[in-house]
Amino acid sequence: MLWYRVGSRDEELGQTGTSHFLEHMLFKGTDRYAKGAIDLTTHLNGGINNAFTWLDFTAYYFSFASDRWQTALEIEASRMRDTTFAEEEFVSEKQVVEEELRIGLDGPWEALENEVWATAFRQHPYHSPTVGWLEDLESATGADMKTYYDRWYHPRNATLVIVGDFDTREALAKIKDMFGSIPPGPVVKPRNIVEPPQKGEKRVTVKKETPVERLLIGYHAPPVADPDNYALHVAAAILSTGKSSRLYKRLVDQDKSVTVASATHHDHPDPALFLVQAEVKPGFKLADVERAVYDEIDRLKRGDMSAAELEKAKRLIEADLVMSNEEPLQQAMLLGQYETIATGERVPEDSRGFRYLDTMLDRINAVTVESAARVARKYFTEDNRTVGYLVDQPNESPADGKESDGGG
Amino acid sequence: MAVSRKAGAVKLDVNRLVLSNGLVLLIAENHSTPLVSISVIARAGSRFEPDEKAGLASLAAELVEEGTTTRTSRQIAEAIDSSGGHLMTFGDYQSNRVALVSLSRDFNLGLEIAADLLMNAVFPEDKVRQQIDRRLAQLKSRLDVPRTQASDVFNETVFRGTPQHRPSVGYEKTVGALSRSDIEQFYRRYYVPNNTVLAIAGDVETSQTIERVESVLGGWQRASGFSSPDVPRPGLEAQAVEKHVTAPKEQVNVFIGHVGIERKNPDYHALLVMDMILGSSPGFTSRIPRILRDQQGLAYSTFANITSSAGVDPGRFVAYIGTAPGNLDRARAGLRGEIARIVEEPVSGEELDIAKSYLTGSFVLRFQKNAQVSEFMLDAEIYGLGFDYLEKYPDLIRAVTIEDVTRVTRKHIHPERLTTVVVGPVDETGRMISKQEML
Repeated sequence: MLWYRVGSRDEELGQTGTSHFLEHMLFKGTDRYAKGAIDLTTHLNGGINNAFTWLDFTAYYFSFASDRWQTALEIEASRMRDTTFAEEEFVSEKQVVEEELRIGLDGPWEALENEVWATAFRQHPYHSPTVGWLEDLESATGADMKTYYDRWYHPRNATLVIVGDFDTREALAKIKDMFGSIPPGPVVKPRNIVEPPQKGEKRVTVKKETPVERLLIGYHAPPVADPDNYALHVAAAILSTGKSSRLYKRLVDQDKSVTVASATHHDHPDPALFLVQAEVKPGFKLADVERAVYDEIDRLKRGDMSAAELEKAKRLIEADLVMSNEEPLQQAMLLGQYETIATGERVPEDSRGFRYLDTMLDRINAVTVESAARVARKYFTEDNRTVGYLVDQPNESPADGKESDGGG
Repeated sequence: MAVSRKAGAVKLDVNRLVLSNGLVLLIAENHSTPLVSISVIARAGSRFEPDEKAGLASLAAELVEEGTTTRTSRQIAEAIDSSGGHLMTFGDYQSNRVALVSLSRDFNLGLEIAADLLMNAVFPEDKVRQQIDRRLAQLKSRLDVPRTQASDVFNETVFRGTPQHRPSVGYEKTVGALSRSDIEQFYRRYYVPNNTVLAIAGDVETSQTIERVESVLGGWQRASGFSSPDVPRPGLEAQAVEKHVTAPKEQVNVFIGHVGIERKNPDYHALLVMDMILGSSPGFTSRIPRILRDQQGLAYSTFANITSSAGVDPGRFVAYIGTAPGNLDRARAGLRGEIARIVEEPVSGEELDIAKSYLTGSFVLRFQKNAQVSEFMLDAEIYGLGFDYLEKYPDLIRAVTIEDVTRVTRKHIHPERLTTVVVGPVDETGRMISKQEML
């Protein structure tokens, strides 16, 4: 896997979606691999490849049987600097990316997620979705893409991860051979965009024709490896992992007000959001479900949790880590992700980069009822949250004035 | 380690035995991680439920974890969650399932709970009511995904007259009318040892595992005179069928196809190669993704295949595209054109080579997790593939010729008898309409 430390977090206003679009363009050919040749080579060697982009990173991966994996190195070395940006490829791929965005617009959750993040972050680029805003995509140019590529796609900004059955010394020689001659690339001065503390609850309503209304609450939360962050992972497990979790017991079992509810906390290099979401059954009110979520969160803040419940959450996190290491691709994902995001002086040296994974369980195990309650009180406050409602709104008027242009 | 891999071939040592009550037990050891997968199939599913009780099989499947004679729903959840394991109980078209992954140190606990659900589920009235109400809401929410809606309409048309025309989750009308006794009767009839296969893969020792299984499931009473109902077979349409469903969405979702094949069909491997050439490669080497997405930019998601739905009953041959409404004519013509072309013209030698290289080479990548090994063992048992199938598979693929592809394509793909379903901002004749017109 090749990880680049660039994602929608690094984009300028008006050019959102560039990181993700660029990821698509990296399959469109290099000076050594004509269009289609990357997939062709992969499949002729019986392998698979794909890529993904998110807020903080862009990653490309290959899986091959262990006797032919080195093909992947050749491809990645070539497209790190020598991707060709043919204008006609750019034009047709723009339609593909717009279709990808439309799938999101037709989906049940994306519209609400986009608005909650955009509302919670007024300044930090987590404001914008990774796929970008449609208006920005429409005005993107091939030249913008190339400029962005030249800024970010260099060895200095990349991590190569190889997991599986290979000889390390031989692999290193090959890597040196393939990547060694590529210049390290410019030093990009990190932008220091800090989201100012939120001074009061924010609320947003999204109207969409839907048979099922939805609730999404986001609390500003600390970044990866922050001392408080581990307790938030424990809180997410207590709230929503398994049928014995708080949200399941309260909302599905007791109130019977939702089809599904969950709490998720992802690791990011900058402060992001701790999310609670629920799909509300017809006949129940969003406001009632919201209040029930706060009841459960208040219990955490009061320290109303047993030692057994805390132990269970730790066990779940530990087992999930073991299960996330079952196949080489998953291992590469974890190593690459943390090497890419757990960076900077802020992160304790023993947890920096991929070493985060070595210390994570110890830090999780150090969480106590008291520390979990303290962290819950610190972050799960009214002033710190953004609450989004997706409400059913049949198309009663041509209010948006814009019909689907169908042009693609 | 019993799972060994080298390029192109996977060898798997499977221990199969049948308990005296008829339960089939399959075990594959793999000590590379301290994990174990327990996967159970009761051969049932929505194919065995009558039209008026659509949704029954999957509800019964989900409800087995809501209480047994020895454990409450809460105790089951606490036990599983406290061990860090994950339990899933669900039903689909042809199976009712219990699946559990856990750390291997918790294997005994997991096995005991799985056995309890299989033998002793009690279906408490309040839990039945709760799950039915939840299902009714889920039925509404799943239609929020336009691709699902289009797929449902396609199945309703193509599989008319067979149980496969319904979604396994049922309809609001049928689910709302189900009772606790319907569910209990379904469970009593189909959750019996002589209709069940149990697969265990991972960090366990075979002889100890057999002992454990004998001790927790050996006393499960065989159902004498057990038989499965006959399921009507779907037939091809006599001619082309078109259906348009109006929905206020950004995209049109298009499904084109007809009835497909059973997994046991002898043409399966040649059709697998055909799928790879026509529309199922993961990237853009297949024709449909390459031409409609990579060259014409019509879609993010477009594909075609016949083998991926092949099961106990014939599945579906289907081509899909999701695209902006203005592209509908081009997209539909593109899919139909590629379907016609693969029937009319022989594929090229290069296409055949790519497809075969991909299928044989990537096969090893599909058995890296215990849950995947369990799934394979269940498939091998249900379809009679033989447990040496993993070793035979590369040769079965390599043997496919251009002539084979032409022959099986002409036999199983019928361009004149395609059903086309379009869901999106179109009227019933297929004309594109604006959002205002939909009011």
